[in-house]
Amino acid sequence: MDLLLSPQLLAAALIAGALYALVALGLNLIYGTMRLLNVAHGELVMVGSYVASWSFSLLGLGPWPALILSPVAAGLLGYGLYRGLFRRLLAKPALVQRIEANSLLLFFGVSIVLQNLVSLLFTATPRGYQPFGGAVVDLGFASVTGGRLLVLIVAGIVTVVAVLLLRFNTVGLAVKALIQNREAASLAGIDTEKLERWSFIAGFAVAGLAGALVSMVEQVSPFMGFPYMIAAFVIIILGGLGNLTGSLIGGLILGLLETYGVALTSPNYRSILVYGVFIAVLLIRPQGLLGRARIVR
Amino acid sequence: MKPLSNLLPILFFAAMAVLPLMGGDYYLGIGFQLLMWIALTQSWVLLSGFTGYISLGHAVFYGLGGYLTVLTWYIVPLPLAIPLSGLAAALFAGLIGYPVMRVRGPYFVILTFGLAELVKYIVINVEAALGKFGRLMMGAPGLSTLYGVMLALAVAATLLVVLVGRSRFGAGLRAIREDEPAAETVGVPTARYKLAAYALSAAIPGMVGGLVALRTSYFEPQQIFSPTLSFTVVTMAMIGGSDRARGPIMGALFLVLLSELLWANLAELYMIILGLLLIGFVLFAPSGIDGLLRRRFGR
Repeated sequence: MDLLLSPQLLAAALIAGALYALVALGLNLIYGTMRLLNVAHGELVMVGSYVASWSFSLLGLGPWPALILSPVAAGLLGYGLYRGLFRRLLAKPALVQRIEANSLLLFFGVSIVLQNLVSLLFTATPRGYQPFGGAVVDLGFASVTGGRLLVLIVAGIVTVVAVLLLRFNTVGLAVKALIQNREAASLAGIDTEKLERWSFIAGFAVAGLAGALVSMVEQVSPFMGFPYMIAAFVIIILGGLGNLTGSLIGGLILGLLETYGVALTSPNYRSILVYGVFIAVLLIRPQGLLGRARIVR
Repeated sequence: MKPLSNLLPILFFAAMAVLPLMGGDYYLGIGFQLLMWIALTQSWVLLSGFTGYISLGHAVFYGLGGYLTVLTWYIVPLPLAIPLSGLAAALFAGLIGYPVMRVRGPYFVILTFGLAELVKYIVINVEAALGKFGRLMMGAPGLSTLYGVMLALAVAATLLVVLVGRSRFGAGLRAIREDEPAAETVGVPTARYKLAAYALSAAIPGMVGGLVALRTSYFEPQQIFSPTLSFTVVTMAMIGGSDRARGPIMGALFLVLLSELLWANLAELYMIILGLLLIGFVLFAPSGIDGLLRRRFGR
């Protein structure tokens, strides 16, 4: 019982939750605006992690520049993929007709290319670094390493700001309109194609930023993205596909569930717990815990 | 043209049937792989090709079949254990099928994937609780026996696709793919058909999984439930392109040959080429090799 009330555990849950929410945010932004399910999302996290690890170890820039460099690198990758692949996909009516299957296969192709390209070029050996020399910060109620504290602060700020932008900012409202109804948004004078392009790039950039944060708390390897993609899937199922506020809450739920679930049982049950909740929610409420039921004939 | 293209699968399987007389163990091993992928991809087409419900979790049936064969090893004689594995996989699909097949679109894709992973971790934990970390199977039948059974499974899976494709049932499944509410309206029993397709598509992978467990004579849940298998099956179906019998054969043949050329020393390069091919096919040849050939030779 003491264990469950420990503020240390709560801090761990919040850090995990904030990071998950950030990873899910990018995935959900792309799904919401374009209805494309990016199964390569975890690989973008991986790319962001590599950029951060290089800027720390090879360039000796310390941990801060990675917070800019990683999202820029992932965003550029997003721009390239949008121009090279997805604009083609969206331009052909025959392909758009089965957009779900086709976009899934495209992203899957991108995912295996990225994983193996990185593995081929930089070997599959995991590598890690200690930002802030591994210093521990005492928060009064709990102590965390500098890297973890940075994760909590940056991921927390970015997700909350993103949610607020969607509420109160003109561009944010346009994105929200696009998520809700593409045709209507277009009729209301929103340049949907431009907005989709920027949402795509922003989704990638957010994944890159998440990757930079991940690299500060765990080792970097070409195949590290997979668990994050799964976590992001679980979260957007919890919060509802296309519901960005939902993905913030879903991230926190998953962080709490995972941390406390493992503390209560055993680390061996972690995956069963995560997938079990995921499947239960999908079967019982396919529109997400927070998603609104759509009327089906 | 048409009769010839229908003859191709028959010629192909005839060639595969005489392979044991011609080649050594090396070629037989590749042939076994090829037939395995054909059987798996055909069974995937039975569900996803016909109904448009893209399953990313075919490994679950394969893994369960393999697991059952391993569990009943020494207890149930093999000629019974393999069909039993298929039956168990189909039964599992039948049990979970109704709620699963209600979920649509991208949700269905990630649900099937998550389901396969959940079962994988449950099996891993069960094995750990039993104190087993990988199981060795001594005295499994030789490659030529297993090859024969795998050939039969590949032919059966192909026949199943052909027969279902020509039946009322198959027409109903295709109608679900094109427009499910409309299919429902004109009287296709969509829920029942989807459930039947799901269970039917599970039986073959269950048996294939059992055979592969015998072939490797080693069982390790991480390996047999690997999501790579599910992904590869989807890629093969896509590259083959077509819900007719020859699509999966061409897709599997193409990728197996490619992997033989590259896998041994260039595993990463093989995966990169696989990814690029997938992207290329989706964008430039969405109806796969079959579509390319039809365009080239007119029908």
